[in-house]
Amino acid sequence: MRHIADVAGRELRGLFVSPVAYGILSLFSVLAGIFFIVTLSAFSEWVLRLQQMQAIEALAQANLNDGMIAMFYQSMGVVLLFLIPGITMSLFASEKTNGTQELLLTSPLTIWDIVLGKFLAGAIFTTLLVAIVAAYPAVLWIYGNPGPELGKTISGLLGLLLVSWTYVSIGAFASSLTRSQVLAFLLTFVILLMMMFMPAIADLGVAGTSEARDFFRYLSADVHLDQLVRGLVDTKDLAYFAVMIGTFLVFTKTAVESVRWR
Amino acid sequence: MIEARGLTKRYGDVVAVDDVSFQIGKGEVVGFLGPNGAGKTTTMRMLTGFVPPTDGTAVIAGHDIFTDPIAARRAIGYLPETPPLYPEMTVESYVAYVAKINDVARGKRKPAVARALERCGLADVRRRVIGTLSKGYRQRVGLAQAIVHVPPVLILDEPTVGLDPIQVREIRQLISDLASPEQGESQHTVVLSTHILPEVEAICRRVILVNEGRKVIDKPLSELTAGGMTLDEVFVREIMKEAPAEQAAS
Ligand SMILES: Nc1ncnc2c1ncn2[C@@H]1O[C@H](COP(=O)(O)OP(=O)(O)O)[C@@H](O)[C@H]1O
Ligand SMILES: [Mg+2]
Repeated sequence: MRHIADVAGRELRGLFVSPVAYGILSLFSVLAGIFFIVTLSAFSEWVLRLQQMQAIEALAQANLNDGMIAMFYQSMGVVLLFLIPGITMSLFASEKTNGTQELLLTSPLTIWDIVLGKFLAGAIFTTLLVAIVAAYPAVLWIYGNPGPELGKTISGLLGLLLVSWTYVSIGAFASSLTRSQVLAFLLTFVILLMMMFMPAIADLGVAGTSEARDFFRYLSADVHLDQLVRGLVDTKDLAYFAVMIGTFLVFTKTAVESVRWR
Repeated sequence: MIEARGLTKRYGDVVAVDDVSFQIGKGEVVGFLGPNGAGKTTTMRMLTGFVPPTDGTAVIAGHDIFTDPIAARRAIGYLPETPPLYPEMTVESYVAYVAKINDVARGKRKPAVARALERCGLADVRRRVIGTLSKGYRQRVGLAQAIVHVPPVLILDEPTVGLDPIQVREIRQLISDLASPEQGESQHTVVLSTHILPEVEAICRRVILVNEGRKVIDKPLSELTAGGMTLDEVFVREIMKEAPAEQAAS
């Protein structure tokens, strides 16, 4: 466990000499800007309409958090779903094509050093992405009058952070299964899309019993992100993220180890 | 320094390595010789902990590969068949990374890296990105990575394959140098696999010949060629012994 930081450090430096990392960072920043402006102008238009209609009650309830930031966060959650596979696809697949897998597995590193180091590198990168998201509500908080509610704004960011780390653990697992980065990307993407559509599948009635429907809904990261965006910090949702990340890290460890069984 | 006890590796029905045992003492330089597919790489991968033996075990510098794997792996410097390089890293940062993951203490890392680069003739290219280096230089980086933590045991899998004649000479010279101690430094025990006979004659003092997964000869080089036969003749004779038996079986 002493070498997690060494592995993560090398991974991050490798990421930042490749154009992929910068490409994803810039694309993400641009998309964040666009979604921010779109949701913000939709919100102000709506407020304007309410004022014209003199809907005093609705106006009193309109606030930045529910009317705009929630939508902004959820959009960025979808953007993360598209971009994180591009970051995680190389985590383990490239070690196989470089032949460096043999270096790592014949060094005194443990498998957990390797797996947690790689996860940490991916998680640090996505934390950077979430920090970009955070800059926008920060602007509202400084200049808005009234600004957003701090608690909800921060719990939503926490939600995005946990979602991004969950996606990283899934991407790491996919990358550990193959030597092809393209395949790792597609596999991650398919798993994440399936997770996103879990609630829809549950509602279609495929799931039968209501317990089964609740279970399918529970599997979706979006459902839990939603709770946090609404400012509802519940251990049930936090446990979901911990369990998902833990499970996929154990899967990844098993997959990396399995080279030794063949 | 290295003790293999009945090492066996099966891949399904294929027996890649079949009950191979040997003992290699401190400071020996052993040529692990055999035709392609003889099981050289597989044996080395078992010694280095990359694949577990189906049967048997090995003890590296007093550490059993099953019961004490991390210490066993730390005692080995390993150059796989293809050098395990990160193309985007610089030579120096790569060798420093390998030093780090091999538990070279923080304070000793810088001199250890400098010495490995110096010994492998890489001092001038230490800032270069590995991906831009020629094949010969990449092989040197592979060697530098193997020796940076001054392991008691060096395992080199076909270190000159795919190089041009000049590079082959340089790398052989380098390995010969590594096998002899430098001032104040202990000698490496070297096992080197190859199917190139002059390589063995140039570097090694002992030969282990494997064929179809089995050890067929284990002798000092001088003894092998004492009868007036060249190593080449010995090699062909031993490999051919097996062939007729196999035809009769099929
Ligand atoms: N991962 C593997 N799966 C199946 N067979 C393998 C594997 N690795 C090696 N072999 C087989 O084991 C035998 C020995 O291979 P190897 O150790 O690479 O020989 P060498 O290095 O002497 O050329 C060959 O017949 C090879 O096909
Ligand atoms: Mg080989």
